[in-house]
Amino acid sequence: MEAAATSDTESDSSSDDLSWGEADIHPSLLERVDEEKCRSIRKQYRQLIYSVQQNRDDIVNTASDSLTEALEEANVLFDAVSRTREAALDAQFLVLASDLGKEKAKQLNSDMNFFNQVAFCDFLFIFVGLNWMEDDGRDPLNNCDDNIAFSFWETVQKEATSWMLQAETFHFLFGSFKPESAARKPRLDHRRKVQKMEENGDMPTKLRKLDLSGNQEATEKEVERILGLLQTYFRKYPDTPVSYFEFVIDPHSFSRTVENIFYVSFIIRDGFARIRLDQDRLPILEPININLAGEGNDPSFHSRKQGVISLSLQDWKNIVATFEISEAMITNSY
Amino acid sequence: MSQKPKSRGRPSSQVEREPDGGGREAPSTSRWPGGAASQRRAQASPAPGPRSQKQLELKVAELVQFLLIKDQKKIPIRRTDILRHVVGDYKDVLSELLRRAAERLEYVFGYRLVELEPRSNTYILVNTLEPVEEDAEVRGDQGTPTTGLLMIVLGLIFMKGNSIKETEVWDFLRRLGVHPAKKHLIFGDPKKLITEDFVRQRYLDYRRIPHTDPVDYELQWGPRTNLETSKMKVLKFVAKVHNQDPKDWPAQYCEALADEEARARPQPAGPSPATAPAPTAAPVS
Repeated sequence: MEAAATSDTESDSSSDDLSWGEADIHPSLLERVDEEKCRSIRKQYRQLIYSVQQNRDDIVNTASDSLTEALEEANVLFDAVSRTREAALDAQFLVLASDLGKEKAKQLNSDMNFFNQVAFCDFLFIFVGLNWMEDDGRDPLNNCDDNIAFSFWETVQKEATSWMLQAETFHFLFGSFKPESAARKPRLDHRRKVQKMEENGDMPTKLRKLDLSGNQEATEKEVERILGLLQTYFRKYPDTPVSYFEFVIDPHSFSRTVENIFYVSFIIRDGFARIRLDQDRLPILEPININLAGEGNDPSFHSRKQGVISLSLQDWKNIVATFEISEAMITNSY
Repeated sequence: MSQKPKSRGRPSSQVEREPDGGGREAPSTSRWPGGAASQRRAQASPAPGPRSQKQLELKVAELVQFLLIKDQKKIPIRRTDILRHVVGDYKDVLSELLRRAAERLEYVFGYRLVELEPRSNTYILVNTLEPVEEDAEVRGDQGTPTTGLLMIVLGLIFMKGNSIKETEVWDFLRRLGVHPAKKHLIFGDPKKLITEDFVRQRYLDYRRIPHTDPVDYELQWGPRTNLETSKMKVLKFVAKVHNQDPKDWPAQYCEALADEEARARPQPAGPSPATAPAPTAAPVS
């Protein structure tokens, strides 16, 4: 009836066996709890759990018996367990052990074992060409030269991208062409465009400024600005024509020079200034006074003349040197 | 003489008309017989009406630009965003716009617009052109080389049975100099890159494993990965690194082969923007 030797293991499964005579409760449960003992059991459990967690890799990966040993140790501990507090720790250990057991079983699957991730690592080094560094410790990429890391990942990247169908990311090549910085996100631009188009399409009577020619506006603005600069100059130095080259050339930027020539041509076309050759056969810009009455003013009086200016990069450099132009007369608007 | 009512089509009480109602004398701009009443209704809430080809083309162009720019971050593009930022009033023809935009993207850029998952209402761009060896030289610097890291992780996941614990990933990556808690020269914050960025881009799925203590997560392939690459391709990558034949891993090879066959079969409900349901079917001229 007593079966004291085996009764300890059943201290927690008291529901299984109710045949203990008059008392329904196992006698060991009625004993005064030895706090010291329980504390020691808990401590051992915790140590066991900790050590199993620390050695997880070892337990799971190799064909070791450490898991079985741990289980046996827990079994022994459990014999002394009589309280729920310790039993809870035992349960916690069991969860951990079964988890590891599952891992181990997965590893044992002989097919999957073919893939050895440690080998994969080594092969990556060889693939990139880093194998010559291996005698310098196992991990060539830890505490290595920056260049080595860069070249490793670049090589891997190159190989990896050839196995993927990634769409290249889209970026505007040189940014916006507008002179003002385009700080707005493209999405907002679409919204504004949407609104404009809607107004045009829906209610014809409500048609506001039709901004179909954004570029033209920018050109006009530039032309006006440069005309302003030119007129300021003429006001400051009346009756002094300005050398054409000195006006349009920007010694720091060939492209800006070309733009300036472009804008000045509008000024001349619209009759705000005149270009002619001076006594040295160099082109100069002269103001046309609109207030002057008489035939000099009538645009149709001047027979239409056309001038073509060609300027190569070398020409531009030569002019900058010859005329000793150090600063652009037309300052940037930004 | 009673005054004739201004609105045409309304049957005057004095003039005899056909029983089927007005709209016979004057050409009504409304499409349905019923004359003034429906005209009033149309004016009260302006119906989209027929849109010119030019307007549609403009919308499609905007949509293409929007999709290209949104794709920069490689985060799937949501339908709601498309509606809100580009399509707006044109939402009744959304499926048509998407179809045309997809066409445009394919013909001009060689990109396919695909729905990430059926009924997910998010889209991504996938390249239709297989990468060519020489392209790699020309591609130049496209930012951080994260694809290499991604491919390694994808390879690990697949070779280990389509799922891997996060701790295993770090055990592996540590040997390559990539640590979860240490700033990386190239990748910055590798943990964020792998567990957040790649997940947001839908290359990976990052799930918590229940009942683990300390908490552990598992990584699997995300939907984007299956669209941009395949098990066979990843296996070939791994094999190439090993300088071996993919068949040397029979289990993985079989799995990859089965995947290839599944892909070759015609899809029952192909992921295409044209199948996105349109709210109404308004006539478009």
